[in-house]
Amino acid sequence: MSDELVSRLETYLAKKLDQPALRVSDLARIPGGASRETYRFRARYGAGKGEIERALILRRDPPASLIETDRTTEFRAYQAFHRLGLPVPEPVALELDGGALERPFFVMEEITGCEVASILNPDPYGAHREKIGRQFWDVLGQIAKADVKTIGLSDFEGARDPNEAWHHEVARWEKVIDEDEREPQPIARAAIRWLKRNPPPQAAKIAVVHGDYRTGNFLFNGAGEIRAILDWEMAHLGDPLEDLGWALDPLWAHGDPSRPAGLIARADAIRTWEAASGLKADPKALAWWEVFASLKGLAIWISAACEYAEGRNTDPVNAFSGWYCLAFHNKVLAERLAS
Amino acid sequence: MKPEVDQILGLSSGQLMSQIAPLLPNSFAVGGASLLGIMMTLAAQEYERGADIRAAENADMRSLFRDAAAQIADAELKAMVSTAAATQDRSLKISALNAENIELRRVLIRLQAYAEMKGLRDIERRIWDVLKASADRRILRLG
Repeated sequence: MSDELVSRLETYLAKKLDQPALRVSDLARIPGGASRETYRFRARYGAGKGEIERALILRRDPPASLIETDRTTEFRAYQAFHRLGLPVPEPVALELDGGALERPFFVMEEITGCEVASILNPDPYGAHREKIGRQFWDVLGQIAKADVKTIGLSDFEGARDPNEAWHHEVARWEKVIDEDEREPQPIARAAIRWLKRNPPPQAAKIAVVHGDYRTGNFLFNGAGEIRAILDWEMAHLGDPLEDLGWALDPLWAHGDPSRPAGLIARADAIRTWEAASGLKADPKALAWWEVFASLKGLAIWISAACEYAEGRNTDPVNAFSGWYCLAFHNKVLAERLAS
Repeated sequence: MKPEVDQILGLSSGQLMSQIAPLLPNSFAVGGASLLGIMMTLAAQEYERGADIRAAENADMRSLFRDAAAQIADAELKAMVSTAAATQDRSLKISALNAENIELRRVLIRLQAYAEMKGLRDIERRIWDVLKASADRRILRLG
């Protein structure tokens, strides 16, 4: 790994943490999505018995990202939900000025001894599937339950009016498709028209929506405990059913849609979410948000394909998204909307 | 041309994922190499079927347009649909088929929005049949 990046990180953290002798070691890039460059490293400071070694993660903006996301939003979401006691890494530092490491970045605690499920793995959770499943849907319910004012996120981007949450999100993702499609997308366009013609019931409340809550975006340990909910970069205010619909999407089901996210049965998942959130998942509203989830997926994959095709971000995950994921969600939506 | 392109991609993908990726020094490199291997597998599928699925899709849309044109009252759209129905694929190059496909899809989107607005259920059903068939053909297999 670049000695220059190590040196810059040392200089920055020594000042930030007021530890002039701080040393950075073991810096290594790790997979962490296409919207941020992710590195793990160790920071050592203090002396003798008082020496401290911290396992940390650096998330730095890439030259171009899959979806333009706000690192301040991501950092503040980590802060708020870490304070609330949810399994979320402790954020350490946020730097919007690109001077220290060339581009904006933030640093947070690394949760060690865990793994993340690949969406391509047909059975990532093994014997812990039920245990992890109950936690997964419970934590999502707790995110929905959190009061946006109490946790200090009421100024987040998104809808303030429960009547407008659906429209706000459709408009957001329609704009992404308008800007990034490199070929006409008839199924996405039909889905947008359908979503507008058949609006869902009013949201039960305005909550923080994680925005990408799914298998592959949390860490779990060998005892089947969820230790960290990650990737809050698309967090916003909206209808909590948006997260539920996204997490239930068949793309994340590891090949078995009857067990969303590859975990517990769908009915159990929804019951667990309802118990934790104190909300009801109105079937009509949820059905709408599930169609929306696949449309949002299409928008993200269209954007990824555009980034790759135009050479701004040639991470192969963008090519994979533009091929495999786009085809998957086109099929899901064609089957749903045709019926 | 032996070996065929899809065979080369498939075997190279296997070597990349099973022999080269495990030797790489960190999880980021291993993950990247594995994903490149998966993309080679998908590219092998697309090499074999790419022209076929585009030609079939284009033929489906033209057939739909021929049948639908008579039910369209809007003169501009009717002319657009009729003109599109009369086009042909003049080359089996992917780039040429894509160019035709893009124009036909544009017309399809206009026609579908019109059919929804006017309540032309038969046309709507035919369009969804075409779109479902297209989505089925374009699904990629990871295994």
